[in-house]
Amino acid sequence: MKLAKRLLAYSLPYWRSLVAAFAMIMFTSLTINYLPVLIQRMTDQCLMNTSSPVAERIDLLTKLGILYISIAAIGHLVRYFQGLLTAWIGQKIIYDLRLEVFRKVLRMQQAYFDKTAVGTLMTRVTSDIERLQHFVTEGVVGTIADLFMLLGIMGYMIYISPTLSLSIFITLPLLFAIMFYINGKLRDANRDIRDRQSRLNALLQEDLTGMTTIQLFNREASAMADFDKRHTHLRSAYFDEVRWFSLYFPTVEGGQALSVLIILAVGGLLVLNGSTAITLGIFVAFLAYIRDFFRPLGSLSDKAGSFQVAMASIERIFTLLDTSEEVNEPAKPESPDRIAGSIAFNNVWFAYNDDNWVIKDLSFAVEPGQVLAVVGATGAGKSTVINLIGRFYDVQQGSVSIDGIDVRRFGKHDLRSRLGYVFQDPFIFTGSINDNIGLQTPGISQADMVHAAKTVNAHEFIDAMPEGYDTVMNERGEGLSLGQKQLLVMARTLAQNPELLFVLDEATASVDTATEILIQDALEKLMTNRTSIVIAHRLSTIRHADRILVMRHGELVDQGTHDELMEHDGYYRQLYELLLHSPEEEESL
Amino acid sequence: MVTRSCKADLYSGGQALPLRDRNRRTIISKEEIRLGRYFMPHRAEIIATVVCVLISVCINLYLPFIMRQVIDGLTDNALDRSALIHHLGTYLLLVVISVLFSRLLRKIPLKLSHKIEYALRTDVFDHLTKLDQEYYRGERTGDLMTRMSSDINIVRDSIGQGLLQGIRTIAVLVFASIVMALTDPGIALLVFSLYLPMVVIFFLILRVMRRQQKDLQEHVSEVSNFCQESFAGIRCIKGFALERRRNTQFEGLNSGLVKKNMVLQMSRQSLWPFMAFWFSFGMILILNLGGRKIISGELTLGMLTQFIQYLLYMQWPLLALSWTMSMMQRGKVSWVRVKEILESEPHIRESGTANTETGKLDASIQFRNLELAIKGRTFLHDINFEIPAGTTLGITGPTGSGKTLLVSLVARLMDPTHGTVSVGNKDIRTLPLTKLRGMIGFAAQEPVLFSRTLEHNIGFGVVKPDKNLIGWAAEIAHLRNDVENFPDQFQTILGERGVTLSGGQRQRTAISRAIARRPDILILDDVLSAVDTQTEAAIMAKLQPVMAERTALFVSHRISTLRYADEIIVIENGRITQRGTHAELIRHPGYYSELNTLQQLEEKLEEGA
Repeated sequence: MKLAKRLLAYSLPYWRSLVAAFAMIMFTSLTINYLPVLIQRMTDQCLMNTSSPVAERIDLLTKLGILYISIAAIGHLVRYFQGLLTAWIGQKIIYDLRLEVFRKVLRMQQAYFDKTAVGTLMTRVTSDIERLQHFVTEGVVGTIADLFMLLGIMGYMIYISPTLSLSIFITLPLLFAIMFYINGKLRDANRDIRDRQSRLNALLQEDLTGMTTIQLFNREASAMADFDKRHTHLRSAYFDEVRWFSLYFPTVEGGQALSVLIILAVGGLLVLNGSTAITLGIFVAFLAYIRDFFRPLGSLSDKAGSFQVAMASIERIFTLLDTSEEVNEPAKPESPDRIAGSIAFNNVWFAYNDDNWVIKDLSFAVEPGQVLAVVGATGAGKSTVINLIGRFYDVQQGSVSIDGIDVRRFGKHDLRSRLGYVFQDPFIFTGSINDNIGLQTPGISQADMVHAAKTVNAHEFIDAMPEGYDTVMNERGEGLSLGQKQLLVMARTLAQNPELLFVLDEATASVDTATEILIQDALEKLMTNRTSIVIAHRLSTIRHADRILVMRHGELVDQGTHDELMEHDGYYRQLYELLLHSPEEEESL
Repeated sequence: MVTRSCKADLYSGGQALPLRDRNRRTIISKEEIRLGRYFMPHRAEIIATVVCVLISVCINLYLPFIMRQVIDGLTDNALDRSALIHHLGTYLLLVVISVLFSRLLRKIPLKLSHKIEYALRTDVFDHLTKLDQEYYRGERTGDLMTRMSSDINIVRDSIGQGLLQGIRTIAVLVFASIVMALTDPGIALLVFSLYLPMVVIFFLILRVMRRQQKDLQEHVSEVSNFCQESFAGIRCIKGFALERRRNTQFEGLNSGLVKKNMVLQMSRQSLWPFMAFWFSFGMILILNLGGRKIISGELTLGMLTQFIQYLLYMQWPLLALSWTMSMMQRGKVSWVRVKEILESEPHIRESGTANTETGKLDASIQFRNLELAIKGRTFLHDINFEIPAGTTLGITGPTGSGKTLLVSLVARLMDPTHGTVSVGNKDIRTLPLTKLRGMIGFAAQEPVLFSRTLEHNIGFGVVKPDKNLIGWAAEIAHLRNDVENFPDQFQTILGERGVTLSGGQRQRTAISRAIARRPDILILDDVLSAVDTQTEAAIMAKLQPVMAERTALFVSHRISTLRYADEIIVIENGRITQRGTHAELIRHPGYYSELNTLQQLEEKLEEGA
């Protein structure tokens, strides 16, 4: 109930449209359902009224006919627009919700993404929202429309003949109960089908991915047997569905036929007993009402039970919206015009989870404009250093500061817009090369982008592409080599002109020597006149750094220039030698 | 057969397009020869459907006739109480019978369609188990999944609905025209001239809707791609503080979604009001025309009511005709996609002259003048060497040099372009596949495990695995300690629903799985890349005796592992560049000795730590 109330709040901005939609629903119910009354009049006043002159009867017949078709036209037209309006309201509500969910996800802290699979998030913005949309448009508004339709029909029926109406209405609860029961069974069957289909699909997915393994181990026959088990299971759910489905329409048909029978019986007997309350026109009109009666009745009986399914989705969406965002924005964020560029770590302790300290009591400082290289074996905590400065995570103890200001006192967005990153896995967005370099940041001109690309040696291959800077990249930058992607990402970083720069320069395989030289050159240009921290694997970058930080198991081992460290640090010398002997860049498949 | 009759109806009703019609027919019948084979076992059910339809249609056409008699009887005061009750009794009886058959006429064809769906999917899966690695490399799993699920479902729906609606529509059309023409040809003509344009317009709206639906679907997938990209690239987005821009872009896409949805709604919402209006239009025309005839005494009110009832009765089958036709079109497209799988031939096949002798083969392996090219690119050149039975071969080399391809050739996951691979001096192409693979235990670097129990996974390649064997295999692969920490030990379910294994655990499970077969030939393709050096040493110590008993090939990047091999080959760019024992190779300058130096340095670094 709380969920429904909360969901209802989303429809408040559209209350005017909602009121209009309800007015239209009432209007259609009143007009369309009036039509059989006209049929009754035509029958009684024109066709059967042998007492009036023929010409008069034909004249009235034509008049009533025109009235009939006009009302029908207006009624159905309004109904069409009501349908459109209702759909539009539903779309708007879903639009708002979808936007809210998306924005919420983007606001979540990095740690949330470490825990939550992309697939789960995708389900929230796609199928959960879709189910919600169905619920809002078909479910809520649909129910109201069906109800009004039903009430309209019943009202007119009582209006023209209370006796006949009552004799039909007493059968309704039973019919509704049967339809409700069948619909419930159908829903169960459909749920079984979905469950079993997805279990079959899970098996299938696994078997198709592992087909080579199955073949290697001669397991084809048993894979087939496993498949058949779930497949038969699915088939039996389908058979169940057929059983109930094949009952549904015959029940409706039977109900309709039964109502006709009641009309003929009750009406016929009344007429035979000499009652004047029942005319033949009423007969004909009732036959018309019976037809329209069962559609809203059937769909109501279906909707009555389907709300639970939607509720589960609604609950999941609201749970996501209610998840706390953890990294909190300062009340009064600092926002200096320009950062000079000094970075300091003061006794920083950090763990991704529990007591697994990844950074232990780390302190160091970088002067403005300096290039700092961080070296160490895998797992030494090097990349965490960068994550902490950009506030992807917040430190547990100690502090990280830029120009003496604790990073937690910056707004996240403002802070990150001052930082530039080059990640080891270059991320290419769907869109043109221009979009990938400029990121549609206001103030970056075409010339800036070309300049950036030229500086990092990316211009040449971009220019050689079919549409140059307008070439549209598909997902993950297919068609570019890894080296080219890295250059492109560097052009992006340079174009953003960040005040501080962080480079994750992991050794990458499958970059040919020529590109490797281009990348090294680009890196150097990127770091010129900029405070930079490089997680270094390339010897050239290490040697060119102003200072080198040597880390091991989250602790600072030593720092100094390359020459100093070579002189007195055995650990550094070993690391250096290892890099020296790294296998040459290999060409992969 | 159903497709054809439906189409024939459409064309005979509208302006005939003889040429196109004929073309279509040939295409359809060509496809149907194959799908037709799934109908053959169900002939009786198809006949039963026809019978049910005939009974149901006849009764439903007869009911309005009773209505007419009652109404006319009441008008003329010619009806007494007992006659009325007699009529109503007949009516009730017929309704009951009609409801029964109305159920059967749905149940039989729909059930039949599910049986065909089942048979079809079984055949497709069976065929898929026969297709080789090359086929799977060329197909995306997601695409195969779509064909196996939604495409087969669409084929099934078009069969079920096609049978049901097709037969019913024809029966209704034929019988209703006869009855109406006999009652009053003038009004009958009016009814038909009203319905024909309605069916056509309905069909056109459906077509427009399908196009708009496709449009919307494309936009929906664009939106989900955008979300996928945003969530997967969240670091990059946060790193560049792109959230606001991303949100704006999403807003645009989101609005597009509303717009496209509304375009679709414009036609979708028109369906029902349009139909209902058209029906009202027909109703009033009949009332007017029939009314004049009643006034002039040519027609009775009962007859008019009868006609209106027919109008009602024909409405749904005729509308379903449009819907069924668009269903059939989709069914055809899906069937072609399903058929593509069934028509793919595996390249790796038992040769006609497969050696069926049951004698045990000598487990030596020979590579002769071997060359392997995939899609025009040569990955292995001029490979010549022999592994004597019972010896161990180590294979190393840079990433992408062709090591995995080389070991895959032994298990005949693909065939070489030139040259031969032989086991026991017999070309493996002449051996039955199951016999060859039965000799081999294979563990891959990124193994596929199944979401079943650990026991099932380890005993995967053994017909009847016993506990001792499983325990032994786990012991050798150094998996025992891990197993003891699992919630249900060997009965633990792997994967999302149970325990998610680490890379190293997966690799060790794959080793267990391979050795549990006690194979003559053991192939380990870089299976220790994800375990640390100490575990590696422990596993190697236990694996050593197991390998010593059989012919073993293992790919590795670690000198500490490679040194156990009787012989080592180095593959660079698809060629064997070095071969010899560990002792020989470290003395020669080249890839192997470089690797050796590097790893010694690493070791020193570790010790220093």
